Amino acid sequence: MSYYDIDSILTESELDIPDLGYLDNTPTQPLKTGAKVNLPLWLAEMLVIANTGDVEGKSFVTFDLPPALGNDVIQALKADPRAVPLRDQSPHFYGLGTHMMELSEEQELAAVLRKTFVTRASEVALHARKVGGVGHRGKGAEEGSNLGIGGAGEEFLRGLDEWERKLFRKAHDGAKSGKEWMEGVKKH
Amino acid sequence: MALPLPPGLTHAEVSFLAEMELVTVVPRQRLESIDLLGGKTPALRPPHRADLPLWLALLLKKQRRANIVPPRWLHPSSLAEIIHRETKETPLAFSEPPPAPARADTANPGYAHRQGGQQHQRQQEQEQDGPIMSAPFRPSCTADAPAGYLPYHWLEVAEALLAHAGDDVASLAASSLGEVRGLLRDLVEVRAAKMRSSTAQLEGFGGGLMLLRGVGAMELAESRGFVLGVVDGVRKIGASAEAARREMEEERGGEEGESDEEMGL
Repeated sequence: MSYYDIDSILTESELDIPDLGYLDNTPTQPLKTGAKVNLPLWLAEMLVIANTGDVEGKSFVTFDLPPALGNDVIQALKADPRAVPLRDQSPHFYGLGTHMMELSEEQELAAVLRKTFVTRASEVALHARKVGGVGHRGKGAEEGSNLGIGGAGEEFLRGLDEWERKLFRKAHDGAKSGKEWMEGVKKH
Repeated sequence: MALPLPPGLTHAEVSFLAEMELVTVVPRQRLESIDLLGGKTPALRPPHRADLPLWLALLLKKQRRANIVPPRWLHPSSLAEIIHRETKETPLAFSEPPPAPARADTANPGYAHRQGGQQHQRQQEQEQDGPIMSAPFRPSCTADAPAGYLPYHWLEVAEALLAHAGDDVASLAASSLGEVRGLLRDLVEVRAAKMRSSTAQLEGFGGGLMLLRGVGAMELAESRGFVLGVVDGVRKIGASAEAARREMEEERGGEEGESDEEMGL
């Protein structure tokens, strides 16, 4: 999935590389030392992994975390995971996060992502159950409160990343088939 | 993608399995014992009670040849007690499954080879040897099943009884059918909310366990995809940290590993 993720990592070159200038929009020049270029994740990942084979033991590229996993986002997630529309950061937020963690081994990032995922998952399940009118008959009061979720809920659902969308679909399918069965019992 | 179905049982399959549960009936007509694959059913002699598989009981009920005695946990008082326990006393855990000693509460001649066919006192049951019966073989939906505990197939059996033997449920509980139905709905909602929030148990590292004790078969079927998705997501997020931890452990435990190998040789 993240193979197609155009979301790039900021990669910093440590060497002059001839003929690669086009990466920095200067096709005629060599790629300068210290130039920052955006590369697709799959390519940047390979470069960072290949670092170890360097001659002088010095890596020829260093990388920064993509803005989706930047400090602002992480702080916001720490404050309230549910309030951050992850999709605006990256459609493959968690996928990106796991790739980054493989490269950088940041303990804090892992903990924040885990908390975010788990907290948002229960919220996702709640919406999955309510969307499509799973609310039962004869519960007018509860229906009302569900409508209350509705407005904020749509916004939340728009902010789901791909993992969460998948999760939403699973939870929704479960709730839906449960409802169908419940109605089927009476006909049987 | 050979199999289009998601892993696990679908709702239809679960409710089909639930029809194997034994329920108590009061026959209106005599019926000789039937030789089923699961053993012989008891001969029905009105007005003596007998335990039959749910599907057979529903069939007889539809033909007006028997009345079904709903299990005690389906009474409004029992349901209300369970809801109270789930919401007030243990707001985090699911209520306990029926205690094991209840397995031999009823004599069931049809399943005599499994049950031993004798009534036991609780103390005796605990000492009684023999295999401990798990969910489908335990008479957890008969009239003698203990109140206040939800058996594995509670939702399926309750729905089936409410749909097809509603008058029996209402008459025995001495209450309106709507009350039982409403309580069941509440219970379903309470437990579904609990299932959702139980993902929070996965938050801390090392605490990657979701406790699903006492969750019914139907609830499992409904939440399986979601729960598996969450657990898998948490696993993926923690994968790199886990790999790093393993590496460290291997480096540290390298010598011990060697000695283990030697012992293995």
